[in-house]
Amino acid sequence: MMKPEKPARTARRRPGEILAVGAVVLYAVLLLGIPLAAVLFGAFSEGFERFRTELLRPEAVSALRLTIQLAFVSAAINGCFGLIVAVTLARHRFSGRSLLNGLVDLPFGVSPVVAGLALLLLFGRGGWLENVVSAVGLRVVFDWTGLLLATVFVSLPFVIREVIPVLQQVGTAHEEAAYVLGAKPWQAFWWITLPAIRWAFVYGLILTLARSLGEFGAVLVVGGGIRGITQTATVYIYHSLDARNEVGAFSMALVLAVVTIAVFLGAEAIKRREERRRAGEGPTRQALR
Amino acid sequence: MSIRLEHVLKRFGELVILQRTSLEVRDGEFFVLLGASGSGKTTLLRIIAGLEPADEGLVLLHDRDVTWAPPQERNIGMVFQNYLIFRHMTVAENIEFGLRLRGTSLTERRRRREELLDLVGLAGLDNRFPHQLSGGQQQRVALARALAYNPEVLLLDEPFGALDVQIRSSLRRNLKRIQRSLGVTTILVTHDQEEAFELADRIGILERGHLLEVGRPGDLYWRPKVSFTASFLGGGALIVGRVEQDKARFGHLSLELPDELQAEGLTRVQLMIRPEQVALLEEAPEDRSVCLGKGEVLEDWFVGAYRRVRLRLPHLPGTRQAHPVPPFGEPALLVDALLPGSLSAIASAYWAVLNGWHLLRAPDFRFLLVCFGGDTKAPHRPLLGKWLVERLEATALCLLPNEVSPLADRQEEKPESEAVSDRAESPKIELRPAGGNIAEAMSRELKRSLYDFLVLECRTDIAREDAARRFQELFGELTTALPVPTFAVVHSQEEIRHMLICTGAGEPGKEDIRLGGRLARRLGLPVTLLHVYHPQTSPEFARRHLDRAAATLQGLDLDVKLHVTAGEDVAETIVQEARRLECDLIVIGAHLEQPSWLTDQNITRRILAKAPCAVLIVPPPIELRSTAPSFLHTLPA
Repeated sequence: MMKPEKPARTARRRPGEILAVGAVVLYAVLLLGIPLAAVLFGAFSEGFERFRTELLRPEAVSALRLTIQLAFVSAAINGCFGLIVAVTLARHRFSGRSLLNGLVDLPFGVSPVVAGLALLLLFGRGGWLENVVSAVGLRVVFDWTGLLLATVFVSLPFVIREVIPVLQQVGTAHEEAAYVLGAKPWQAFWWITLPAIRWAFVYGLILTLARSLGEFGAVLVVGGGIRGITQTATVYIYHSLDARNEVGAFSMALVLAVVTIAVFLGAEAIKRREERRRAGEGPTRQALR
Repeated sequence: MSIRLEHVLKRFGELVILQRTSLEVRDGEFFVLLGASGSGKTTLLRIIAGLEPADEGLVLLHDRDVTWAPPQERNIGMVFQNYLIFRHMTVAENIEFGLRLRGTSLTERRRRREELLDLVGLAGLDNRFPHQLSGGQQQRVALARALAYNPEVLLLDEPFGALDVQIRSSLRRNLKRIQRSLGVTTILVTHDQEEAFELADRIGILERGHLLEVGRPGDLYWRPKVSFTASFLGGGALIVGRVEQDKARFGHLSLELPDELQAEGLTRVQLMIRPEQVALLEEAPEDRSVCLGKGEVLEDWFVGAYRRVRLRLPHLPGTRQAHPVPPFGEPALLVDALLPGSLSAIASAYWAVLNGWHLLRAPDFRFLLVCFGGDTKAPHRPLLGKWLVERLEATALCLLPNEVSPLADRQEEKPESEAVSDRAESPKIELRPAGGNIAEAMSRELKRSLYDFLVLECRTDIAREDAARRFQELFGELTTALPVPTFAVVHSQEEIRHMLICTGAGEPGKEDIRLGGRLARRLGLPVTLLHVYHPQTSPEFARRHLDRAAATLQGLDLDVKLHVTAGEDVAETIVQEARRLECDLIVIGAHLEQPSWLTDQNITRRILAKAPCAVLIVPPPIELRSTAPSFLHTLPA
């Protein structure tokens, strides 16, 4: 009986390639995996019961709830607002367009602490908008509203930056075809444009969510980290460390990490689905040429 | 009348992409707009669709003014070049889209969808997505989608451009069948002449924004009214000849003028011969009245069903061939003819006899006349320009400087067509105030419309050097930037009696010789051909070129004298000879290697400063210039 041959594939890999790939994997594992392992270890260092107790503390629960609330509301706001801005920037020419385009990227460049400080100055005691806000009956500083403003600011660019390139690539030709068929502009947007940018939009939302979950500096400065009111999960971790409650800190960190990883895995799944869909259209694109 | 356009004009910045166009398409007609890329045909279609606004004019659909209506309100169907099917929807959803927007019920939508899929031959493909269909199938979906809601008008923008030839013919036939059975008024835009012939009830020929001619395919092919149509729609020869005693003369051929041309009092006329109309004989025919002569076979092409041959026949005296253009230095008559494809051997020469022909108008020259300098007392009449326009039976636009106020007043009453009486007696010169800086007005006008010549006349009271400087302002730095051949008249001159064509140092030009020759022929002038060579070089190099130049000019039946002179200073020598020979026009080419216009070395500028008469500056051939007008073959004899 003949011995089965080794699969050709292994024979083709050159040693240099194995080395390079191996180095990269090692780097990623070290840089990302070790901190994650540390968090995992720290959370369970005193056993599963301690972990559970820490998480079920009322302050912990409310911090987590607050963080998740903020993340979803800011995603909703940045989703709507971002879509409008994206369409305006991609489809219309107007003076000040490049200025607006630059401003959209501002949250990337500015430190979140500075953003928090700005809000503090605007809405705090003696601030320009203090009277306006209190007339409406709102409080911004040391309040949920302030946290929301801060979170919306830092996660602003994502939806816009994901959607604009797709809008530009898709072009207006299909919308014109829709107009001729009888669609009014909003109908064309709903039936034709939105479906084309659907996945880019969702990906932008997910990035917004992830960013909002992890926000720390701005919400600390504007909110003050008041336990039960303006203490987000990230601030809770910070305070726990201060109070030498390491297990508490690690437990919350682990939860945040797991949620964020889940969110990103979802994003990856969406991206892969989009790529598969686009690959299916490949022959179409060639036929058009 | 289903579709009517009235004087629709469209600009893009300063450029006019659609000249005032009027068009009528009848109910149920299949109309094809045929033109090359850039002719404005897609723009015209988009204006009818409402996707672009017209800058001027009206669009009427079924007698309803829709000029300002958005596309949604026009009730039209449109098929685009790249289909534009909605990729995230199935075939069924695509087709039903228009119906859904109109609130049609589900059952009615489904019924209509089935009906349309049947009509275009895609039954059963309801649930496919566009990326699962071939190009031809996608195009049919686009058609079904456009027809779903029974539009009043169907527009198609080069719908078959991206498809294979076989698929194209079968789709074409289907489209024609569908259009006939539905009876929907249709406009299709294409650059494919075969497609136009196969589909159209009537064809409109578009060229550079002008709708040149509209007619049935057969009429346009056999009896075109415009030169461009004749050469765009198929092969054939175009020959310009004279009209004498109500007959069209081409050498020994004497042909009856058709009725519509007789009444116009023409002196020139063009003969169109399609290859199908030329019979080839190996023996000389008995009846020579429609015989073109005997010619050798230059080339032959195998085209499947037949063979096409190009014959070189002896030049017909008194004519000029506009298309195909005979090579430089070899006056001849080039005629294409057809032989059966099954013929095994082709003779080396044949006698060509005409089985049929068509006579059409020869195109007019268009002049742009600009007079400048001088005071308000001296009237700004274009002297030489007027003479040229009259003798060449051309049309002209005259730009007047703003300083002339009485004229400007009168001009406001009659802005267009009619001439103001004592200013320009010829009815073909349209006067217009420049409205600002005359140099800008001139370059705007040259961009706006197509001109064959520019005539710049300067007043007598300006010193010669000043005039040359004014010319410099108008031309800018290089004479090679001249868009059209330009007459520069530095003093009062009323006519031309003797022409001097110069081939100076550097690259000998063919274009200036050709153009000079044509003008001389039309004006009936004697020509002296002058070549100046540097005393230290031998004239032999230029001798060959001169011989060919002389042959070309003789082929135009001109009285040519050759003159070769040595001279250190080319410009100076040319001016001296012009004075000595008493010439009224110096024709020079704007040579490419000349130093910049700004320096004193520039030959053209120096000639202008010293010339005793008008100077015609001919820019480099069209192929070497960046913007190429496509009227090349329609430049008149």
